[in-house]
Amino acid sequence: MKFRFDRLKLSCATAIASALLLSAGMANAQSAAQKAVDAAKKMCNGKTITIVWEAGLQSLDPKNFSGPMWEKLTSCKINVVEVPTAEMFTKIMQEFRAGTGAYDALNVIPSWMPDLVQAGALEPLDAMVDKYTYRDELQKIAPTYRDNQMKVNGKIYGFPDDGDVFIMYYRKDIFADPALRKDFKAKYNYELAAPTTWKQFSEIGQFLTDKLKAKGTYGASQFREPGYGNFMFQERFRNEGGKFFDANMKATINGPEGVKVLTDWRNENKFMPPGVEKFGFVENLATFVKGESAMTISWPPYGRFAAGYIKDEAMKWVPESKVAGKVGYALPPGGHPELAAGFALSVASNSKNKELAYLFIQWLNSEEISMQRVQLPYTLRDPFRDSHFTSKEYLAKWPDAKDYLAALQAGSKTGLLDLSLIQTDKYEEALRQGISRLWAGDDPKAILDDVAKSWDDTTKKVGLDKQKAVYSAWAAKGGAYPK
Amino acid sequence: MNRLPLAHRLRQHLRLLLAILITLFFLFPVYWLAMNSFKTADEIYASPPVWWPASLQLNNYWVLFKDGDAVSVWNSLVVATGSTVLAMSLGTLCAYSLARFKTGGDHLSNWIISQRMVPPIAVVFPIFLLYVFLGWVDTYIGMILLYTAFNLPYVIWMMRGYIQDIPRSLEEAALVDGCTHWEVFWKVVLPMCKGGLFATAIFTFIFAWNEFLFALVLTRTEVTTYTVQVTHYFGGQSNFWTKIAAMSVLGTLPVFIAVVFMQRYLVRGISLGAVKG
Amino acid sequence: MSLRTALSSSQAHEVQKQFARMLVAPAMLVLLLVAVFPLIYLILVSFQGITMMDNSSDFVGFINYQAILEDTRLWQALWHTMVFLAIALPLELVLGLLMAQLFLDQLPGRQIMVGLLVLPVVISPIVAGAIWSLMFDNRYGPINQVLGWMVGHDMPLLWTIKPELVYPAILVAEVWQWTPFMFLLLLAALANVDKSQLESASIDGAGYWRIFFRIVLPSIWPVMAIALLIRLLDLFRLFDIVWTLTQGGPGTMTETLSIFTYSQGFKQFETSYTAAVALVIVVFLSAILMWALKRVELSR
Repeated sequence: MKFRFDRLKLSCATAIASALLLSAGMANAQSAAQKAVDAAKKMCNGKTITIVWEAGLQSLDPKNFSGPMWEKLTSCKINVVEVPTAEMFTKIMQEFRAGTGAYDALNVIPSWMPDLVQAGALEPLDAMVDKYTYRDELQKIAPTYRDNQMKVNGKIYGFPDDGDVFIMYYRKDIFADPALRKDFKAKYNYELAAPTTWKQFSEIGQFLTDKLKAKGTYGASQFREPGYGNFMFQERFRNEGGKFFDANMKATINGPEGVKVLTDWRNENKFMPPGVEKFGFVENLATFVKGESAMTISWPPYGRFAAGYIKDEAMKWVPESKVAGKVGYALPPGGHPELAAGFALSVASNSKNKELAYLFIQWLNSEEISMQRVQLPYTLRDPFRDSHFTSKEYLAKWPDAKDYLAALQAGSKTGLLDLSLIQTDKYEEALRQGISRLWAGDDPKAILDDVAKSWDDTTKKVGLDKQKAVYSAWAAKGGAYPK
Repeated sequence: MNRLPLAHRLRQHLRLLLAILITLFFLFPVYWLAMNSFKTADEIYASPPVWWPASLQLNNYWVLFKDGDAVSVWNSLVVATGSTVLAMSLGTLCAYSLARFKTGGDHLSNWIISQRMVPPIAVVFPIFLLYVFLGWVDTYIGMILLYTAFNLPYVIWMMRGYIQDIPRSLEEAALVDGCTHWEVFWKVVLPMCKGGLFATAIFTFIFAWNEFLFALVLTRTEVTTYTVQVTHYFGGQSNFWTKIAAMSVLGTLPVFIAVVFMQRYLVRGISLGAVKG
Repeated sequence: MSLRTALSSSQAHEVQKQFARMLVAPAMLVLLLVAVFPLIYLILVSFQGITMMDNSSDFVGFINYQAILEDTRLWQALWHTMVFLAIALPLELVLGLLMAQLFLDQLPGRQIMVGLLVLPVVISPIVAGAIWSLMFDNRYGPINQVLGWMVGHDMPLLWTIKPELVYPAILVAEVWQWTPFMFLLLLAALANVDKSQLESASIDGAGYWRIFFRIVLPSIWPVMAIALLIRLLDLFRLFDIVWTLTQGGPGTMTETLSIFTYSQGFKQFETSYTAAVALVIVVFLSAILMWALKRVELSR
C-alpha cells in the first residue's frame, strides 16, 4: 500500500511539476506582442494614446497600419501627432518644459537621447521591460542598434525601431561590362569592383565618368548638402582614422584626417554631376534611379526604391527606377557605415498613460509586428532585427533582395554611431556650416579650425567635465569608432 | 491736338504690354509651382526642366481630400477669416479714435506699433505657456485671438492713415446735420475709405494665412493650418512636391478669388481720362 | 433735435471722449492679453539661466546681456539683416510705386491682373522659398536654363551655394514675394489722390515730376509711410525665405537675426539668452521707431 501511495505521490508531483513547467513554458512562449495586447486590453477603458511621429511618409505606418490594428486588437485609441522632422526635437522639449503631458509615446532620434534624458523628458523603461518580459525580444535586435541606441547611463530609454545605415549602391551591370573591366584593369591594375577604400572610389568614379559621361552617366553622386553631408563626414572621418576629441576633450576634428576628407570631397565633385553640392536625399535618389550615376551611398530605402517593385500610390513621388535589377549592394569604403539618424520609440516622462504608452511601443517594436512594419510598401523603417534580415517574405520581394539584406546586416554589425553628446545640435550645426563653407570655396583647414574652435567653445559652455563624461561613455560604445 | 489721340493710344498699348509683362514675371514662379502639382516625379526631377506636364490629371488634388489633408486649408480659412473680421472691426474702430480724437496721444499709438516689433520666436514659448494655462492650445478660438492680436497693430496703423486721408469737413458737416458719432462713422467715414479697408483686410488675411511659427507650436492635430501641413511634405527621406504644389494651389485659390471680385472697391472712381496728359 | 446741439459744449466733449475711449477699448483688451504675460516672462527669464540642460529659475544677473555684447555671431546676423533690409525695402517701394502708377488708370483686364499680382504674397513664405530653391536649382530649375538660352552656353550657376550669388538669389525671392504688398497698398492710396488738384496743376502747366512730388507724394505719404514701416519691421524678422534657400549659409553668411534666434532659442533651447536678445531687439527697434516718428510727421 505504501509503495503505491509513494508512486501516486510521485506521479502527482511529476504531473504538477510538468503542468507548472508547461504553463511557464507557455507563458514564455506567448509573444511580447500578445502580452502587450492582453495587458492593454485590460487597461484601456477607451483611453487615447498620443504618439509623436515624423510627418509625411513615415506617419502612414501608424495612421494606416499599426494604429488601426492596435485599435482593433485592444480597443485603445491611437492619436498620431505628425511633426516635421526638423521640428520634432523642439516640439517634444517644448511640450515637456510646459508640462502639458500632451504626448504619451515618442519617436526620438537616438543622438538626441542624452539631451532628452538630461532634461528629464524620457521615462526609464527597465521596470516595464521586466514586468512584461521584453528583454528577450530586445536582445534579438541587431547588435549595433541594440547595444548603442537603447540606453543612456545604463538605463533603457528607447527601443531602436529603424535600421538606418549607409549602404553603397552601385551599378553592377556597368561594373560587369567586359570592355570597361578590361580598360580599368589595364589602367589601375586591379579589378573593377565596389570600392573598399576611398582611393579606389575616387579612381573608379573618375574612370567611369570619363567613359560614360557622353551617355549621361557619371561615376558617382553623393549627399553633399550640409544636412546630409554631416553624416557622410562623420562616417568618412572615422574610417580614415579620425577622432572627434582627444583625451582632454579638445576637438581634433581639424586634424589631418578631417582636412583629407574635405579636400577629397572637393576633388571628387569634379567627376560628379554639376550641382552635386546641393544634393540631398531626393536629388541623389533621382540621379541614381534614373541611371545618371554609377555609385552612391545612402540609406536602405534607396535599395527598395531602385528595385522598382513598389507599386503603392503613396510612393508616386519617387521617380521611376530605370535601374531595377542592375543594382549591387556593398558596405561603403572603409567598411564601417554610419548608422545615420535612426529612430527609437520612447515614453514621455510626463505622460498620464505611461504604462499604456509603453505597451503600445512594445507591441510596435516586437518581433511579430515589426516584421510586418518593415515590409510595408510605403515604409521608411528599415530592417533592424536579426529576423528581418532572414525573413523569407522579405527575401522574395525582388531577385537581389538577398544581397541587399546581407549588406544591411553586415552594416548593422560594423556600423558607426552618430556623435551624441549634450547639446549635440550645436556641434552638428558647426559642422553643417563648415560643409556649406567648403562648397562656397573656403580652405578646408581654415574651415575645420573654425569648427574645432566652435566645438571647444560649446564644450566649455556645457562644462568640460560633464561633457567629457558623456563623450567617454559614448566613445566606449562598440559603435563609436572602428575597431 | 490732332496728334494726341495717336500718342494716347500708343501709350495705352505700351502700358498694357508692360502690365502684361510684369504680371507674367510675378506669375511665373506661381505657374511653376502650380505645374508641379500635375507633374510626375520624373518630370519634377527632369534635367533639363519640364515646362509643361504631360497630363493635367487632378488626381493629386483628389488625394489631398481623400487623405484629409485638405482640411488644413479649411482650418486656415476659419482662423484667418475669423481673425481678419475681428481685427478689422476692433482695429478700424480704434484707428478712427486715434485718427480723429488722438486718444492716448502718441504713447498709445507708439505702443501699438511696437507690438509688431517683438520677434515671434521669443514670445512663442510664453504664449504657449499662457495657452496651456487657458486651455487654448490646439483650438480655433486660441488661434483666432492670437492672430487678431498680432494683426491689430497693422490694421490700426493702416486704417489710421486711410482715415486721415479723408477730409474732416464731411464728418463735421454730418455732425452739424444731427448725426451721432456712430452714424458719422458708419455712414460717412467707412464708405469713404472702402479702398483702404479692402487693401488692409486683404493683407491682414494674408498675414494670418501665412503665419507658420505660432501655428506650429500652438497646434497639434485639431487646428493644423495649411502652412504647417505643407511642411509635413518636406521630409528627411522624402519630398512630396506634388502635394506641396497642390496644397499651395488650394491654399491660394480663396484669396485669389476674393481679390479679383472685390478689386473694384480698391480703385475709387472711374478715371475721367488719363491723369497725365 | 440732435444730441450734439442739445448738450453744452463741455458735455458734448465728454460724450466724444467716452465714445473715443469705447472705440479703443476692445482692441486694447485683445492686445494686452497676448502682450503682457510674454513681456513679463521675457524680462524675468532674461535674468535667469535657463538653457537646455538647466531649468532652474535662479537669477543670474546680467550674464545674458553681457553675452550679447561679446557674441560676434549675433552682431554679424544683425549686419546681414541690415543689408537685406537696405536693399529690399527701397526696391520694393520703387517697384511697387511704379507698378501702382501703371495700373492706376483703366486697362483691359486690369481686375484679373491685379488679382493675379497678389498671388506671390499669398503663397506661404516657406513654399515660396522652396519653389525658388527649385527654380534656382542647377539641374531641375528653369532659371539657369533660360540664362543659358540668353547667353548661348551653359550657365551652371549655384545660386544658393556660392557666396557671390546667395544674396541676389534671396533678394530676388524676397522682392518677388513682397512687392505686390507695396503695389496694392500704394494703388489704393494713389486712387484716393484728389483728381481735381491733379487736373488743375496739369492745366497750369506743371511737369510730371513736379506734380508727383508736390501733390501726389504728400497725399499718399501716410499710407506709404505705414507700409514702409510694416515692411521694415517684417524685413527685420526675415526668416522663411532665407531659411528655405540657404539655411543661413554658406557658413553663416546669410544668417539673419531671426535665423540666429531660431537656432539658439528653438533648437538649442538657450531660453534665457534668447529672451535677452529679444528684449534688446525690442528696445532697439522702439528707439529707432521713436526717432523716426519724431522726424516724420505722420498725422495731420
